[in-house]
Amino acid sequence: MFLQLLINSLIAGAIYALVASGFSLIYSTCKFVHFAHGAVVAFSAYIAYLLFSIWGLNFWLAVILAIIFGAFLGWLINVLVYRPLRRKKSSSVILLIAGFATLIILESLILMFFGADVKTIDFIQTAEGLEFFGAIITPLQIVIVIVSVILFILLFLLMKKTRIGKAMRAVADNTEVAEIVGISAERIHSWSFIIGSAIAGIGGILIGLEQNLEPTMGTNLVIKGFTAAIIGGIGSVPGAVLGSFLLGAAENFGIWYLPSGYKDAIAFVILFIFLLFRSQGILGIKKS
Amino acid sequence: MFSAYIIHLLILIGIYMILSLSLQLAMGYSGLLNLGHVAFYAIGAYVSALLALAGVPFWICIILAGLVAMLFGFLLAIPTNKLKGDYLALATLGFTFVVYAVTLNWTDLTRGPLGLPGIPKPVLFGISFSDNLHFLFLTITIAIISYLIIKQIARSPFGKALQAARDDELAAEILGKNTFKLKSYSLAISAFFAGIAGSLYAHYITFIDPSSFTIMQLIPVLAIVIIGGLASLEGTLLAAIILTLIPEPLRFIGFPSSIIGPARQIIYALILLLILIFRPRGFFGKVKLE
Repeated sequence: MFLQLLINSLIAGAIYALVASGFSLIYSTCKFVHFAHGAVVAFSAYIAYLLFSIWGLNFWLAVILAIIFGAFLGWLINVLVYRPLRRKKSSSVILLIAGFATLIILESLILMFFGADVKTIDFIQTAEGLEFFGAIITPLQIVIVIVSVILFILLFLLMKKTRIGKAMRAVADNTEVAEIVGISAERIHSWSFIIGSAIAGIGGILIGLEQNLEPTMGTNLVIKGFTAAIIGGIGSVPGAVLGSFLLGAAENFGIWYLPSGYKDAIAFVILFIFLLFRSQGILGIKKS
Repeated sequence: MFSAYIIHLLILIGIYMILSLSLQLAMGYSGLLNLGHVAFYAIGAYVSALLALAGVPFWICIILAGLVAMLFGFLLAIPTNKLKGDYLALATLGFTFVVYAVTLNWTDLTRGPLGLPGIPKPVLFGISFSDNLHFLFLTITIAIISYLIIKQIARSPFGKALQAARDDELAAEILGKNTFKLKSYSLAISAFFAGIAGSLYAHYITFIDPSSFTIMQLIPVLAIVIIGGLASLEGTLLAAIILTLIPEPLRFIGFPSSIIGPARQIIYALILLLILIFRPRGFFGKVKLE
C-alpha cells in the first residue's frame, strides 16, 4: 500500500510539474499569475485528441502538432491579452483577472466544440501493469515520469547555458537593468510564453493519455500548478518541480485518511498554509 | 408566455444585483479582490435549501443562509487578512474549490452530485410566493433593501474607514483604525448578502447541485462589478441589468442549449477582457483596480 501510494505520488507529481514548470517560468519573467496556462494544457490535449482520435493522423505527428499548437496558443494569449494590458501598465491583479477570463473563454470553446462528455485518447491500449513488490505501475506512467524528468533537465540546461536562458534569468531578476544592457523584455516575455506553453502542451498530451479529457481540466490543473509553484517558491522553476512532487505526495497520502473526492481540497488547504506561513515557498527567498 | 419569460429575467436580474452589490462592497469599497464570492452564494443556497427541506419556515431559512455565509466570511477573513492582490485572489478562489469539494463529497448532507430537488417555494406571513410574479416582488423587495443597506454602509463612517484602508492601509492604521477588523467585517457583510442571494436562487429554481456553484458562475458577477465600476453601486445595478440581458438574444436565434451555455460564458468573459483592456475603471468606477 505504501509503495503504491508512493508511485501514485510520483506520477501525480510529474504531471503537476509539467504544468507548474511552465507556469513558473512565465511567472519568473513576467511577474504575474498566468491563469490561462491551464487552458493551454487542456486545449493542447484536445487538439491531440482531435488530430489522432478523430482525424486519424499518425500519432507522433499529432503529438508534434499539438505541442506546436500549445506553444502558439500561449504566444497568442500573450500578444492579444497580456501585451496590451502591460502596455497600459495594468496591475498584476488586472492581468490575473484577464487570465481568468481567457481561461473561461478557452474552456467554453472546448465545451462548444467537443461537448461536455469525457474523452479519451486511446493510443495505448490499457497495458498490463508492471508489478514492483506488490505495487502496480503501467508503462505509460513510466513514460510520463521519464519524459518529465528529461524535460526538466532540458529546461534547466536551457536556463543555465543558453543565451536566451540567461536573458530570461536577467529579465526575471531585474527587468529594467536587463533592458538597459540591451535585452528586449518584450521578446523574452514572448519566449517564456512559447517555451512554457510548449511544456504545457506536452503535459496536456501526457495527461490526456493517462487520464480522461474534460473541458474544465485546465482550471483544476492551473490551481494545482500554482499551488505547487507556491510550495516550491514562486518564480523558481526547480522550486515548482519540487513543489509538484510534494503536492502529489500530500494528495495521494492524504486520501489514505480522507475520501478520494477531497483530493482537490487537500491542495487548497496546503495552498492556504503556505500563503499564510511561508509565502516565499521552500526554495524562495523572501523579498522585502 | 412572453411575460413569464420577462418575469424570469427580472428575477435573475434581482438575484444578480444582490450578488454583485455584495461583491462590490468587498471589492470596490474595501479593495479585497475576493474570487470566493460564489462559495458564499453556494453556502447560502445549501443552508437555506437544507433547512427548508427539513420544514423550517422560509424567513428563518433566508436569514440563517445569510448568517452562516457571514460566519464563513469571518473564517475566510482570518487567514487571508495579510494577503494582498494576486495572493488574496487565489486564496479566495481556492476557497470556492474547497466549498465545491465539500458539497460534492459530503453526500450524507448534500446528496453530492445528485443535488437537492424539491426545495419548497417561500411562504411569508401566510402569503405563498409559489408563482413567479409573487416571487419577483419578493426578489425586488430584498434587492432594494440590500441596495439601501449597502449604500448606507458605504456612506457611514465605517464605509469611509473601509475606503481609507483600501487607499492607504498604513495611513488608516496610523489614524487608529483597526484594518483587520474593517476588512473582516466588510468580507462578512459581503458574504451575508451573497448568502441571501443564494437562498433566493435555491427557492426560485427549487433544485441545486454543486455544478450550480462553480467558478464559471463567478464570471458574470465579476464582469458586472468591474463593468459597473468599482465603488459605484448605481453602476453595478445598471451593469447587472445589461449583462443579464445581453446573452438573451442567443435564445431566439435557436441555438441548442449545449451551445448557449458556453456562448454566454464567452460573451461575459470577452466583455470583461475588453473592459479591462480599454476601460479598466468600468462605466462609473471611482477607483482603479489594483
